[in-house]
Amino acid sequence: MRNIAEIYKKEIRFYFSTPIAYVVMFIFTAVFGFLYFRNLTYYSELSYQLMQNQYFAQRVDLILGVFAPVFNSNSIILLMVIPPISMRLFAEEKKSGTIELLFTYPLRDIQMVLGKWLAAVTILFSMLVLTVYAPFIAFGFAKSAEWGPVLSGYLGMFLMGVAFLSLGIFISALAENQIVAIIVSYGALLAFWFIGWAVDPDSGRQVGKILGELSIISHLINFIKGVIDTKDLVYYLLFIFSSLFLTLRVLESKRWRG
Amino acid sequence: MYGQTVAVKNVSFEVEKGEILGFLGPNGAGKTTTMRVITGYFPPTDGDAIVAGHSVLTEPLEVKKRIGYVPENPALYKEMKVVDYLKFIGSIKGVARAHIGESVDSVIKKCALQSVTGKHIGQLSRGFQQRVALGQALVNDPPVLILDEPTSGLDPKQIHEIRELIKSMAGTRTIILSTHILPEVSMTCSKVVIINEGEIVAVDSTDNIGSRFVQHNQIEMLVQGQPEKVIEKLSELEGVMRIDNTSNRYTLDVEKDRDLRAQAAKKIVESGFDLLEMRTKAMSLEDVFLRLVTEEEGV
Repeated sequence: MRNIAEIYKKEIRFYFSTPIAYVVMFIFTAVFGFLYFRNLTYYSELSYQLMQNQYFAQRVDLILGVFAPVFNSNSIILLMVIPPISMRLFAEEKKSGTIELLFTYPLRDIQMVLGKWLAAVTILFSMLVLTVYAPFIAFGFAKSAEWGPVLSGYLGMFLMGVAFLSLGIFISALAENQIVAIIVSYGALLAFWFIGWAVDPDSGRQVGKILGELSIISHLINFIKGVIDTKDLVYYLLFIFSSLFLTLRVLESKRWRG
Repeated sequence: MYGQTVAVKNVSFEVEKGEILGFLGPNGAGKTTTMRVITGYFPPTDGDAIVAGHSVLTEPLEVKKRIGYVPENPALYKEMKVVDYLKFIGSIKGVARAHIGESVDSVIKKCALQSVTGKHIGQLSRGFQQRVALGQALVNDPPVLILDEPTSGLDPKQIHEIRELIKSMAGTRTIILSTHILPEVSMTCSKVVIINEGEIVAVDSTDNIGSRFVQHNQIEMLVQGQPEKVIEKLSELEGVMRIDNTSNRYTLDVEKDRDLRAQAAKKIVESGFDLLEMRTKAMSLEDVFLRLVTEEEGV
């Protein structure tokens, strides 16, 4: 436990003593803020018009109108800002040679991986925390606050972000060059993103369904709608676990191959 | 085996507690590989390394707890401050939380790092970085120190300081240091292992290894006079095996256990030449080393 904590502290210190954490958080919150502002102002104008009509007035829904589109777009921003967080975790240590000493300390591989992973997860978590002003503003003006779907949306984004991170760490363990690590991460994440579009899931073909379920984005939709489905939870947890497991195997094989 | 090439084979040696072992060999001989095997960075494909009673294969963590390692050109976390770095390494190496400040302070003192504790490692000179590297190796007070070319890339003053530091660390500790600089071994080590192309060519104490391979003594003289005649006169001496000269400077290879200085001086003076300078040259470790590692090519 202590070793995990030490590696964690070291990585956190690195993120905040270099511009990485600040730049990533700034870009993320700025883009999120812009998207949120656009959606909120657009929807408030729209709902003003809807209010004129008795029937439509019942249909004004902050979740569907504002948060769902913002959270959806947010997943793309996450895809862009997470590889810069994960790319350095192992690639940098290998490139600069610091991994040699790290490997000679009484430290288990799993402690190293978990420490680094937790540090990156912390950055992701803080980024998401920096956006929680959004529902407070919206609900502040609304008649009733629907926190459930917002919270499940956040949970979904968090899980998806952690899945991105975990795949990124795995790729970082494979690569020695950070540029290679980030490009391959983008490629792999986009592949998991688009895989569901390869075959139309509504075509009735089994393969379409399977590919649809494999897609990393398709499992976010339920969370955004406010539905926490075990299937989606298991998908993300399995994705995270497999990535970390593969990272451990890579570290182990690097050792044997020298 | 690492990749497809055998880096080291049949490398087997023992180091006693308190000894400083010099691991000597030309570049690419397998020094670093051997050291990495001992530190547990590479597991060996065959054989084992036992450090303080623990095997690197079955108890790598126990071995790692007992080793302080300084790789060649050590890569440290440049963005960390010296004191934070040492604390971090201390904790990872299992120094009890209550003692960490104490351990770091004593390492800072030992490695003379007082003036740079608050600086980032990346800002330090090469010599200071090397001391920080030694500091991280020492922070948990390990019984075994492994130093891979600890003086490479340093200036002469820094080299001297690091050597003194290494000597001061011996005593209760076992130190293995690799180098391709020969005087380093005769200056710091009590035992030498010479390795070439992945195999051990000689193991002995530093004092013995010189005499073991010396087959002759050398006398160097500076004589004024016609070289041909000087050589003619000198070769009359009994026990002279070979004479070399560059202008007025002559080198005599003399049979082992024979001191010809007095006779040679007499001979020169009696023959009417002027003897300006004379000294004996013992065969240096360098000669031994060159002989051992170049033997196969028959140079």
